[in-house]
Amino acid sequence: MKLSISHDTAYYYEDQVRASIQYLRLTPQESPRQRVLGWQLDLPRPAQVQVDPYGNILHVLTLDEPHDTIRIHASGQVDIDEACEAERYDGSPLPFLRSTHLTQADQALRQFALRNVGEQRDRAALGNLMLALREHMAYTPGSTHVESTAAEAFAGCAGVCQDHTHAFLACLRTLGIPARYVSGYLFTDDCGHVASHAWAEAWLNGAWYSFDITNRLNKPERHLKLAVGMDYLDACPVRGMRRGGGYEKMHAHVIVSPAEIQIVQQQQQ
Amino acid sequence: MSRSFYDEMYDANGECRPHYQEFARWLAETPPDILAQRRREADLLFHRAGITFTLYGDKQGTERLIPFDTIPRSIPASEWRMVEAGCIQRVKALNLFLADLYHEQRILKAGIIPPEQVLANDCYQMAMQGLDLYRDIYAHIAGVDLVRDGDGTYYVLEDNLRTPSGVSYMLEDRKMMMRLFPELFAAQRIAPINHYPNLLLETLKSASPLDNPCVVVLTPGRYNSAYFEHAFLAREMGVELVEGADMFVRDDKVYMRTTAGAVQVDVIYRRLDDGFLDPLAFSADSVLGVPGLLSAYRSGNVTLANAIGTGVADDKSVYPFVPDMIRFYLSEEPILSNVPTWQCRKPDELSHVLAHLPELVVKETQGSGGYGMLVGPAASSKEIEAFRARLKANPAAYIAQPTLSLSTCPTFVENGIAPRHIDLRPFVLSGQETRLVPGGLTRVALREGSLVVNSSQGGGTKDTWIVEDCEC
Repeated sequence: MKLSISHDTAYYYEDQVRASIQYLRLTPQESPRQRVLGWQLDLPRPAQVQVDPYGNILHVLTLDEPHDTIRIHASGQVDIDEACEAERYDGSPLPFLRSTHLTQADQALRQFALRNVGEQRDRAALGNLMLALREHMAYTPGSTHVESTAAEAFAGCAGVCQDHTHAFLACLRTLGIPARYVSGYLFTDDCGHVASHAWAEAWLNGAWYSFDITNRLNKPERHLKLAVGMDYLDACPVRGMRRGGGYEKMHAHVIVSPAEIQIVQQQQQ
Repeated sequence: MSRSFYDEMYDANGECRPHYQEFARWLAETPPDILAQRRREADLLFHRAGITFTLYGDKQGTERLIPFDTIPRSIPASEWRMVEAGCIQRVKALNLFLADLYHEQRILKAGIIPPEQVLANDCYQMAMQGLDLYRDIYAHIAGVDLVRDGDGTYYVLEDNLRTPSGVSYMLEDRKMMMRLFPELFAAQRIAPINHYPNLLLETLKSASPLDNPCVVVLTPGRYNSAYFEHAFLAREMGVELVEGADMFVRDDKVYMRTTAGAVQVDVIYRRLDDGFLDPLAFSADSVLGVPGLLSAYRSGNVTLANAIGTGVADDKSVYPFVPDMIRFYLSEEPILSNVPTWQCRKPDELSHVLAHLPELVVKETQGSGGYGMLVGPAASSKEIEAFRARLKANPAAYIAQPTLSLSTCPTFVENGIAPRHIDLRPFVLSGQETRLVPGGLTRVALREGSLVVNSSQGGGTKDTWIVEDCEC
């Protein structure tokens, strides 16, 4: 499936920002599963590009002239191989056994993981865990915030894709299965969710398998991968800091569509 | 259980060892009131110089003087040469291990260290995977903690490869001794150490491929327990002392703000833990670091000393493998011994540890500074039981070692002079070559019978002498 992406992010500041710096993970990598036909990042000034610790393409944007707006536009076309279900990996998956602040399993998550997986450590068992977790955690925008931990969201029985993914990672790592966070885009027919999305990958039989907890999917047919990491903080599309600026208003606008149709979604904050 | 201690000054028959005879003669000849007066003078001078440390967990959060003892710890030069060679060998192997671990991982493939032990370790840094460092050096500055058992054998207690501290006390203790007792230094040949700041600066400069790199010392700030040392070393080296907020990153390069405008920084001697270096890459709530620093580092535009991710090599659960690292990378036998260590993550070793808690020292694999450890022979049964519960709940977080007797050195106490337990931390610098100044920091446990020498636990310091063997 050929997907066309147009992702606009804009930050508006109440006052002048004296200087700012952003880590941007907004460029998809070429892989057997996704072929990048074309990709472009429009930024206020040229950014340095490098590969980050998790192998993601990272742009570092530094602005040190006063500014009250930052506009970031990512766009391009990517061909997804729907038949490709797993991704090979040269490195060791062992570092992905570690927990982080956001993915630390508490007693409740540990018990939930054990109860729903039992002795099996295969794709079917993790599929069941995914369904049980999604059953337990409603999709409720606004119920959590960007700093909510897996344990907090799980206790609140609600969250968004980021929280679902963190809770799933916490379960897997406590079971001894390496797991990582994925951020990217999802094409949906029903416009049910925003198109900027997060899901998980689990290491099974020597490859990474996808689990989109929010959408109860374990085949990444319509998922365009941008970045991976231990948790949201490593993989999120934009992470930045600034001096000055006061109150911030963020506006994100994503269009993910099959190359021929256009479906527009909008998220405003 | 009675244990025999190795005393640095007196042998088992109570005879003064040769390298201490000159000092013993001086001590016997000097009237006690003069000694007492000099000790008061030392306290006053240390106070004025502001040589303090902050005690964590102290409600008042006050800075304290580290108690200084005027009886030096002395080591004969011939013995020191062995210790020095052993420290150099060890730090070389540890640097080779880090370079291997973050690249080919030959030692894991050879089956010498279980991969999960290091790769699933919290101190393993993904950011270092495949990153090439100039000269392949990770721990430019290392502190190797040594103790001596009952027969005088030196053992390595731990390697400190992150941000080892204490070198300022080593230097200040010497200055103090030379000021108070110049006659001692005239009477015998004591190896000088005051060139340490020069060696450190050379080491830091040689960590960068540039000819004359701009070096700074990065401190977490004045609330850090070692702030005095950060300021001291910056001043001694003649470089800027900076906090994170004094620097910024632009286009993958690091700059510091100065009154004359932005100046590019090439080498950062950072006394800030990995997790605080870059709030965009690590701990998001940290304000101590520099946003963007990791991207500049990974682009090769700035050197960090020590490198990120060295903690995986000085983790106490990795410590048992250091002798094997020496054999693997250097094809040499270790000069200095490891303390036998039980790894509580292994069920059979855990059961041994649980059965022998009153005899053992139990440490957290991630701990430092003497916080969170159990000294079995000195602990109450209540403390032992509390530790037993912690061990059972999370065995992998602990290791255990036999309680070493630790050598003693005569020390001024309330009622005259008495033996107190000591350790030794030499500081190993790795640059173009691996070297150290003679000696190191001697810490002394001032409480009678105590084996914990950490300054945070009421330890003091002594000047450390490497004495040329006399021809007499």
